[in-house]
Amino acid sequence: MKYTIPQIGLALVIAVGVSRADEPAPQTTPAIKLPAPAAIKQLQVEPAAVKLIGADDSRQLIVTGIVQTGSLHDLTGDVKYETTNANVVSITPAGRVLPLANGSATITARYGDKAITVQVTAESQDVDLPINFANHVVPIFTKLGCNGGGCHGKSGGQNGFALSLLGFVPEFDYQTLVKENRGRRLFPASPDHSLLLLKASGTVAHAGGKRMDVGSDEYKMVRRWIASGTPVGSASDPTIQKITIFPDHRIITRNNRQQFAVHAHYSDGSVVDVTQRAQYESNDPDIAVVDGTGLVRTLEMSGEAAIMARYQAQVATFRATVPLGEKLPGYEFQPKTVVDRFTHKKWQELGIMPSELCSDETFVRRVYHDITGTLPTPQQVNAFRSDKNPNKREALVDALLDTPEYSFLFANKWADVLRVKRGNQQNQTRAFGTFAFHNWIRESIARDKPYDQFVREIIGAIGDETKSPPTMWFRDLQKPEQFVDDACQLFLGVRMACAQCHHHPYEKWSQDDYWGMAAFFAQIGRKNVPTPGVSVQNRNQQRQVIFNRGTGSVRNTRTQQNAVMKALDADEVKLAPGEDPRHRLVDWMVEPKNPFFAKAVANRYFAHFFGKGLVDPVDDMRVTNPPSNPELLDALAKELIDNQFSLKHLIKVLCKSRTYQLSAVPNEFNKNDKKAFARYYPRRMAAEVLYDAVSQVTGSPAQFAGLPTDKFAPNRALMLPDESFSSYFLDVFGRPQRISACECERVAEANLAQALHLLNSAEIQNKLARGNGRADQLAKDPRPDAEKVEELFLWAFARRPSEAQMRVALDNIQRNMSNKRIAYENILWALVNTKEFILVQ
Amino acid sequence: MLTFWGSKQDFCDGISRRNFLQIGAFGAGVTLADMLRSKAQAAAPGRAQATRLKSAVMIYLPGGPSHMDMYDLKPDAPREFKGEFNPIDTNVPGVRICEHFPLQARMWDKLACIRSIVSVDEHSDSLVLTGKSQRENMTANHPSFGSVVSRVRGNTTDVPPFVSLRGMSRGTEPGFLGINHRPFTPNGPGVDNLRPQTAVNTERLGDRRNMLEAFDGVRRDIDNNVAGYDAFTQRAFDMISAGVVRNALDLNREPQESRRRYERVEQFLTARRLVEAGVGCVTLSIGGWDTHGRNFDTLRRQLPQVDKGVSLLVNDLHDRGLLNDTVVVMWGEFGRTPRVNNNAGRDHWAPVMSAMVAGGGMRMGQAIGASTARGERPQDRRYTVPQVLSTLYRAMGIDPSQTFLNGAGRPIHIVDDREPVRELI
Repeated sequence: MKYTIPQIGLALVIAVGVSRADEPAPQTTPAIKLPAPAAIKQLQVEPAAVKLIGADDSRQLIVTGIVQTGSLHDLTGDVKYETTNANVVSITPAGRVLPLANGSATITARYGDKAITVQVTAESQDVDLPINFANHVVPIFTKLGCNGGGCHGKSGGQNGFALSLLGFVPEFDYQTLVKENRGRRLFPASPDHSLLLLKASGTVAHAGGKRMDVGSDEYKMVRRWIASGTPVGSASDPTIQKITIFPDHRIITRNNRQQFAVHAHYSDGSVVDVTQRAQYESNDPDIAVVDGTGLVRTLEMSGEAAIMARYQAQVATFRATVPLGEKLPGYEFQPKTVVDRFTHKKWQELGIMPSELCSDETFVRRVYHDITGTLPTPQQVNAFRSDKNPNKREALVDALLDTPEYSFLFANKWADVLRVKRGNQQNQTRAFGTFAFHNWIRESIARDKPYDQFVREIIGAIGDETKSPPTMWFRDLQKPEQFVDDACQLFLGVRMACAQCHHHPYEKWSQDDYWGMAAFFAQIGRKNVPTPGVSVQNRNQQRQVIFNRGTGSVRNTRTQQNAVMKALDADEVKLAPGEDPRHRLVDWMVEPKNPFFAKAVANRYFAHFFGKGLVDPVDDMRVTNPPSNPELLDALAKELIDNQFSLKHLIKVLCKSRTYQLSAVPNEFNKNDKKAFARYYPRRMAAEVLYDAVSQVTGSPAQFAGLPTDKFAPNRALMLPDESFSSYFLDVFGRPQRISACECERVAEANLAQALHLLNSAEIQNKLARGNGRADQLAKDPRPDAEKVEELFLWAFARRPSEAQMRVALDNIQRNMSNKRIAYENILWALVNTKEFILVQ
Repeated sequence: MLTFWGSKQDFCDGISRRNFLQIGAFGAGVTLADMLRSKAQAAAPGRAQATRLKSAVMIYLPGGPSHMDMYDLKPDAPREFKGEFNPIDTNVPGVRICEHFPLQARMWDKLACIRSIVSVDEHSDSLVLTGKSQRENMTANHPSFGSVVSRVRGNTTDVPPFVSLRGMSRGTEPGFLGINHRPFTPNGPGVDNLRPQTAVNTERLGDRRNMLEAFDGVRRDIDNNVAGYDAFTQRAFDMISAGVVRNALDLNREPQESRRRYERVEQFLTARRLVEAGVGCVTLSIGGWDTHGRNFDTLRRQLPQVDKGVSLLVNDLHDRGLLNDTVVVMWGEFGRTPRVNNNAGRDHWAPVMSAMVAGGGMRMGQAIGASTARGERPQDRRYTVPQVLSTLYRAMGIDPSQTFLNGAGRPIHIVDDREPVRELI
């Protein structure tokens, strides 16, 4: 991805402008290439007939040209519209039909010699239809940003005026507007003098600025609501069921546009066009942006973008696939596993070409790093290179999965998010538990314990840490809410936290869904086991037994009633006497048809091996953050389910794929690709892995305070059971403190302190200069220097030095003949400070 | 990918926006793309007002300093409450403070105190530095004031945004903002790395750099971070040779005369030098204030020291034209019992405490709020610690209602209880 400064500036202007319908989107894109009318086979219009009810109704037409080649081209804003009766309906150049009077008319859309017609009838134009506060007024506050989290929608409101966040609680908003402060905000006798309208229209000073124009649709609606005596609506009024977008997916060329329409479906079966009233956001403004009228513009970049629409707590997305649109040279790509089938399909959709197959040297370093968290030794590199087996890459994947290093790497990964931590000094005595839990995780991984069983043993743990190490998970987590947040994020890939206090702003989840999940964790019992000689007050010194109390509930803060026990999108759970509700939750999770469980872990592992999840971030799966390749994610989930949740099997499917073996070097066509995996995305080694790599290459194993110093003690950072072993190196390279269930706690970014530490720290210098370390040994080694330099390159990069590099190294040795160790230290220093060393590619 | 979260936030009061884009040398990592983006953003017309980068010095008095013997004396209270010290006039009529604070008394037009803050009974800097008590932070993991500054700051200089001169404690932890926003602590590797290694002379370092360039086989086009790594390497070498931070920490570079003035309160001098170098937040602590016994003896020793440090710091910042851009606060975790105990000490007292504030363009020369006649509870203008922090954030140009995502993806306000101390604005 390459930015030029003007492009970024413009993109930002668009991003800021999107929420306001009245601001014209700046003309940032080159002129759109319209198809010649002769190239159009046929015009299509949606809807084919329009019925407008009441003066506030309107309808967005979508006019599509079917090009001779079969592709679709949005012409909504390019056709010429005519109406047979300008007294009954009008139509804007953007294709929005507005009623004027009762009657009917025909609208014709013309594109060159092609035309298509729409029948329009308008009724109830002469009556004021009853207003429902929640359906008609509240969405205006959302659209105009009044109830956003930064303004009146934040808890406590803004300057004494509080609305519910994004209008999720209309009853609250009604109370605030109509009743609070003795009704000073509304003035039914003279609606235009209502403080609400005066402020919102900027007629009197408003810190939030002018949000609506006097006389705009929004203004008229609020005014009419006030004038008609601020009705709340009737109990029998329809309620919203869902919103849909037409079209919901289109392939759009670069620098093009697409109008879409949003329809709200109500409980009485009615469908209302809310294109002008919904809120929009693009998840990738580098690829596509959207304005307040549902008009999407694609930009210079190819790729995929999802546009979220939100209306009355409902969300839906429009997906834009933007192909590169350039002619590709022919290429060979032999699919190997299910991964390849769907990545290849995606590349074809996007019109991009994968990178070359990576070299053996690159592959061996990559796969050792990704599966074991270590670098291959020179012997291993050479053995792999000289292996004649045509399936040697597959064989290496199988072999590495049986190493202890594999289990340590993934135990570390799971321990991060399972909060295997000792915490502050007061908790030092948790060490027994953290060692036990870490060991339990590692053994589960080494034995390839089925993932569903792994999760069941954690969520349903009973006993104390001596018998059941996963009970350590219940140390940091105490309240049912904490279990909901962690369990959903970790095992379902869903972030539910928002829905604790209000409707989830980017999902359909309500507070009822949240507390329904919390109810499963309401019966956890805890009991401290008295230990001789330990005071009963010292909770951290006590062993804690987790058990099922068989009774207990949580309070749903919305209803103030006991929450109904219910998993997401599932039926209410009735417990048999003595049954542990946590097991009922796991039962639901591990069912093959559960839409979250298998996908969440498949996505997590995919991200580990490909540098980025199909859903990114890995634990934020939601309607409004769709996977970049949904079919692939489904297929990986199916692989897991069909293979008894074997994680080793999943890793084999991922690592034996042809896609995994692509080179990181981009070609002309995939250089901007950032989520189609058409090349390998390089990444920096994680803190522990890098530390171990430096130790390995310099021949200077790690020692950590607080651990034994014998030969069986952990001598790699990846083997550490918890976070309590202090190391400046690990901290500065982003080792997480394990205070959340989010992988995002691990910092992957580069910073200056890291560069300083690698370049200029005593720690690194000591490792380089360690007696009997790599430099010392090589200095004493009688082999020719060239051979030894080559070995160092194999250690660091798994490749041989180029001639020029060899010359530079030998030159330095030449100049330090009196003390070769100096030269070898220098060479080692230079190797570990290269980008080639700290990046895996 | 830009996520939906926080990719667009409408702030009503025009304080700050898009702070999630970070440029930070020591703290937040930064890619080249971010750097360009941020520059373009700053250049975009009509966007976020360019606020001057402000700094904060947070002085923490560990143990809980006795409010009734410092800024909130009660000369008319019964003897067993009043204690052994008398108030003196300051240069602001009507404001009187302890007789052991003569230097501050002479410059009260540049200082202010709040006498009606409620706290919690906890020996921890958690509340006054993060806005949440240690107990709440067991699960909340709320970030330190300095970590928030580090997160918010569009820091393009080679100085760390947050420096803790008191090492690590709960109050200086970055919490859910992540390890990138930990304070720089000028001890151990953090500062040693700024000094050229003794084992590596200039010639040898030159050799090493040449080889580094020769060995690196990474193609620039594989990742747009690659250029960023090179930029960091370059800057790291520059820092080792130029040493802005190292120099700021090196008091030998201060004139003799001024070192003499700061004798025995050198921390305040370091703090001043760090602020001058552009650091965003400096925390330091001085003394031990848990005076269950011999309260007055201890204070007779410590108060003049604090008086000297604070007055020098504030005056020097003022003389250098930095005071309006630097927020200074001094407080501890709670007050102490109004009634003197049998050991001439005072015990923990959370219902009321005082804080001294200065700078940041806040209104100075006042004593805000009052405790009851015997210094037992706030009488009027009751304030909470988060409200005071909220005021300090505002003075720093940071909107305290701004949110950051915690690990569960929940947007958390910088301060929840953010009604500011009106008198200071």
